[in-house]
Amino acid sequence: MIKLVNVSKSYLKNFKILSGINLYIEAGEFVSLVGQSGSGKTSLVKLLIGEEKVDDGRVIIGDWDITKISRREIPYLRRQIGVIFQDFKLLPQKTLWENVAFALEVCGQPQSKIDKVVLSVMRLVGLEDKKNRYPHEVSGGEQQRAAIARALVHQPKILLADEPTGNLDSINANEIIDLLLRINNFGTTVILVTHNREIVNQLKRRVIAIEKGCVVSDKEKGKYLL
Amino acid sequence: MRIIKFSLQDISRNIWLTIATITILVLALLSVNTLLTVEVLSRHAIDAVKEKIDISLYLKVDASEEQITSLKTQISQMSKVKQVLYTSKADALRYFREKNKDNPEVLTALRELGRNPLSPSLVIAPNNVEEAPQLINEIKQIDSNIIESRDFADNTVILEKINDITKKISEVGLFIIMIFVFTSMLVAYNSIKVAIYTHRREIEIMRLVGASNSFIYLPFVLSAIIYALVSVVIIVIIFYPFLGILQPYLEVFFMDYNINIINYFLDNFWIIFGLQFLSVSIISVLSSWLAIRRYAKV
Repeated sequence: MIKLVNVSKSYLKNFKILSGINLYIEAGEFVSLVGQSGSGKTSLVKLLIGEEKVDDGRVIIGDWDITKISRREIPYLRRQIGVIFQDFKLLPQKTLWENVAFALEVCGQPQSKIDKVVLSVMRLVGLEDKKNRYPHEVSGGEQQRAAIARALVHQPKILLADEPTGNLDSINANEIIDLLLRINNFGTTVILVTHNREIVNQLKRRVIAIEKGCVVSDKEKGKYLL
Repeated sequence: MRIIKFSLQDISRNIWLTIATITILVLALLSVNTLLTVEVLSRHAIDAVKEKIDISLYLKVDASEEQITSLKTQISQMSKVKQVLYTSKADALRYFREKNKDNPEVLTALRELGRNPLSPSLVIAPNNVEEAPQLINEIKQIDSNIIESRDFADNTVILEKINDITKKISEVGLFIIMIFVFTSMLVAYNSIKVAIYTHRREIEIMRLVGASNSFIYLPFVLSAIIYALVSVVIIVIIFYPFLGILQPYLEVFFMDYNINIINYFLDNFWIIFGLQFLSVSIISVLSSWLAIRRYAKV
């Protein structure tokens, strides 16, 4: 469950990037967060992963109020929220397997667990055969799948996908959306941040629209109407 | 283990920067050790001069052994006196001959004289060099008819000069060390800053996937400690041969005084180089910590 109560955030005086946001997202939901560039979508993502703090209001994830989360607690929050981005954020000098394993290595997991978990997520995203390839040796869609695999290694309750199809052609984009839906079917809450009208309209899931930092529409089985 | 692995990766990926950092640290340590050598040598020089500070009383040629022994006892009982050495006429002649064995003209003149012209003497060593002037005053007040002359050659002036020179060397040395410490801090800070820049993408991903703050910081801190360790090892490797070259010259310069600078550095190895390692580690870790706080915010 994700709950935002009257959340406001500004980077400049007299300019609120988010203003009075109230949201409630149930555990296991698939939600599309839509809006134009600069509408405040990415700022909302940053609040959810603890990269930014709210000026006003409260942010609650599960039974954890992260409004005033300390620096020490942030790593534990991020192990519960998987994040993927438009630019994949893979390390070019590591193979796909190593990229995924890296997320567990830096959290101090034992090698035996790393091998087991990485194998299972690589299977889930369908990259088992390409595990030893480097990012530049695979397609954009496969790179994004590797990024999703990395986001899943901690078995997060929430997966935040910030414009995951922005750099992909329509075939690869659809494959990624299918994968996100499969992950959602396992019970993971998926928040898809996008301005891809076609994808949102195909999904027929809940759509939250943000404009100028405010929620302007929130509809079950909604459409991209902005 | 993974922290060590990441740290070594950081060092090898920025090898030229690592070399530059270690070079500066080695130069800083070289200046510290050179100053330490000067300090040790000047301390030895002062001790040598201190040993030379004594007061000679020349006695009359016809003074009897009883009179001399009585005077010697009287002086020995003074609180500021360490010891009194008696040189008889015969001993004085023997030392004189020994000293002038390569000077036949002096020996011929002595032979032609046909008698021992030298006086017996008492050589008085003070307990403490600083008390020498008071002791001289006390000795001046001794009323004895067997004292022919009193030699109060004042070596304290030399001692003061040596003390003064040592103090100046220490001051200049301290200034040089301060400059090197400051430079070392800047270089270590800059190295870690560049290392963080090189690893910025990895750090960003580490943050995203929930790596603990210490896991992000520690490889850089460990790199700083490795810089310190390598620079101290290098200074040990280059400094001992340097001392080996210096030692024969010292033996000539401090003839009659047993001085061995290599042994000094060997006997105090752990104190000297352990402290240097500790200091360089603290400097490097402190600069790394500052760089991390500024450039690798989590």
